[in-house]
Amino acid sequence: MSKWKIHTPEGVQDILFDECALKRNIEEKLRGLYRSYGYFEVETPTIEFYDVFSSDTGIIPQETMFKFFDQQGRILVLRPDITVPVARISASKYREMPYPMRFSYIGNVFRYNDYGGGKQNEFTQAGVEVLGVSTSEADAEVIAIAINALITAGLEDFKLDIGQVEFFNGLMDETKLTEEEMDRLKVMIDRKDYVGLEELLDKYDIRADLKKLITDLPALFGSADVIERVEALALNKRSLDALENIRQVLNILDDYGLGRYVSVDLGMLKGLNYDTGIIFRGFTYGIGFPILTGGRYDRLVEEFGRQCPATGFSMGVNLIMMALQRQKADIEKPCIDSIVCYSQKGRKTAFELCGELRRQGLLIELDLSGGDVEALKKYAARKGVGGVINVSDEETIEVHNIATGEINRTSIRELTKGC
Amino acid sequence: MKYLTIALSKGRLADLSIEMLEDMGVDCSEYRNSSRKLIFTDEKNSIKFFLVKPADVPTYVEYGAADIGIAGKDTLLEEGRHLYEVLNLGFAACKMVLAGPAELQGKLDHLNNKRVATKYPKIAREYFEHKRRESIEVIKLNGSVELAPLVGLSELIVDLVESGRTLKDNGLVVLDTIAEISARVVVNRVSIKMKSDKVNWIIEGLKKQLEAARQK
Repeated sequence: MSKWKIHTPEGVQDILFDECALKRNIEEKLRGLYRSYGYFEVETPTIEFYDVFSSDTGIIPQETMFKFFDQQGRILVLRPDITVPVARISASKYREMPYPMRFSYIGNVFRYNDYGGGKQNEFTQAGVEVLGVSTSEADAEVIAIAINALITAGLEDFKLDIGQVEFFNGLMDETKLTEEEMDRLKVMIDRKDYVGLEELLDKYDIRADLKKLITDLPALFGSADVIERVEALALNKRSLDALENIRQVLNILDDYGLGRYVSVDLGMLKGLNYDTGIIFRGFTYGIGFPILTGGRYDRLVEEFGRQCPATGFSMGVNLIMMALQRQKADIEKPCIDSIVCYSQKGRKTAFELCGELRRQGLLIELDLSGGDVEALKKYAARKGVGGVINVSDEETIEVHNIATGEINRTSIRELTKGC
Repeated sequence: MKYLTIALSKGRLADLSIEMLEDMGVDCSEYRNSSRKLIFTDEKNSIKFFLVKPADVPTYVEYGAADIGIAGKDTLLEEGRHLYEVLNLGFAACKMVLAGPAELQGKLDHLNNKRVATKYPKIAREYFEHKRRESIEVIKLNGSVELAPLVGLSELIVDLVESGRTLKDNGLVVLDTIAEISARVVVNRVSIKMKSDKVNWIIEGLKKQLEAARQK
């Protein structure tokens, strides 16, 4: 046998019966939820041109993408994200569509060893995007959907942190730092690396009160009073606007009745390279990674030739599954209700019976190996099937209850009537 | 009950860390009394802790298998994981340096094709990439890195230096300091939010001890 024949590459997984059922179940619920908010689903290609995701601003770092070539030698990638393809669609195929445009999607994305996917190379994202509105109402709507998505998926104990990248950008306006120096600061703040941050700030020439605020930034998270604390300081309009934006979003979420799920983190800066306003992340117990990320990206769509503000989020479905399993939530497992076997004479009746039971929503397996009832009962017991139904003819049907060992004799008429 | 889990680096760092935890009221008797156990529990405070190889601490914390970790800055730099690095404990202090034969001093820029031997390939690569803007060949070793320039395996080394004695005895000099190293407290990005009360209790407790030690 070839060396790798029975293996799967690193970072990808087979999803087997129970898990797959759970996953589809979550996906269906999310699909329904997104649709109920007016976000219709789109499906974008798994393969895209590299150019879609690359730009001077580095939308997505090239070293995280799976790349290959088409027959003309052009560089292709396995989509590392679905937000960017949605932006592409909105600026091309839907460029005549009136605002706001609402999209949803559920699909697999591919990235090398990505933090967002919980260190998997292939994972499923389920998300929404709303384009064409820059209001706090839009920010709040996607956050409200995100919270309801987590509830719908079955999580109870989770938190959503809200930040605003413009707050930091406003602070930076007051300094004369270069892009590179700002990036270095951002990394330190995002890592809550107090030591490194202080060392770095000592090297920079920044106003003393600003320096103090930037040093405190990693600790500026918690309830809404964080905003009031900071607002009292001397800030420029850009930073104040950012704080006002967060406050409005929090107020709107209070009216949604979802205020208790959210908190503020002004030190949350590094989401995606295309973030421009409110950003947020979701957390729960048992998972060391954020289970959802989202935020505003007002300058992404213009990369595709159309000026358009936008915001959205995506949820890591695999991480949600992991969280549910670790939190030992009640997880429905797919289970066969009955196995039907028959003798030659009862075949037609057996098929009729199967059809009727399936119509009623039961999961029915048909015996394919010749109707040895004893063997079937053993098989049923092992597989956790409730019953074995042996159809000899129209009038002679035996129903074996596997758990109790009881046998009921009945006919097709009674059986289909009684159900 | 939700436990707070702490990952400690085996060795000297563990002894120091455990002393600090004990001083702030964490019950470490299970650790003191048993050498076979892998995980030690303080039921009263709902805290668990375990000891792993220093280089593995950031991994446990990134994945959330531990909420908090205590590890050297060297392993944090080398592992480059997504963590919050919240506190400098100050102990186990040393320097990460670029070193080489004395005759290279001031002539580093004239040396084409640099080969760098190190236990820390990532730190070496990033230092040359960002600070010196040069491409290098990294030769990964697992110990006795000072030997490499002496036997012609490499021109330079990147390594931890405490007193500088070993370098000196082998005719090597520090060419540049890459980073100051000491023990740090790291926290998982989710735990800091989901278990903030307990995480803060630990961090504030450690901070207080550092303050007290400084005032002595």
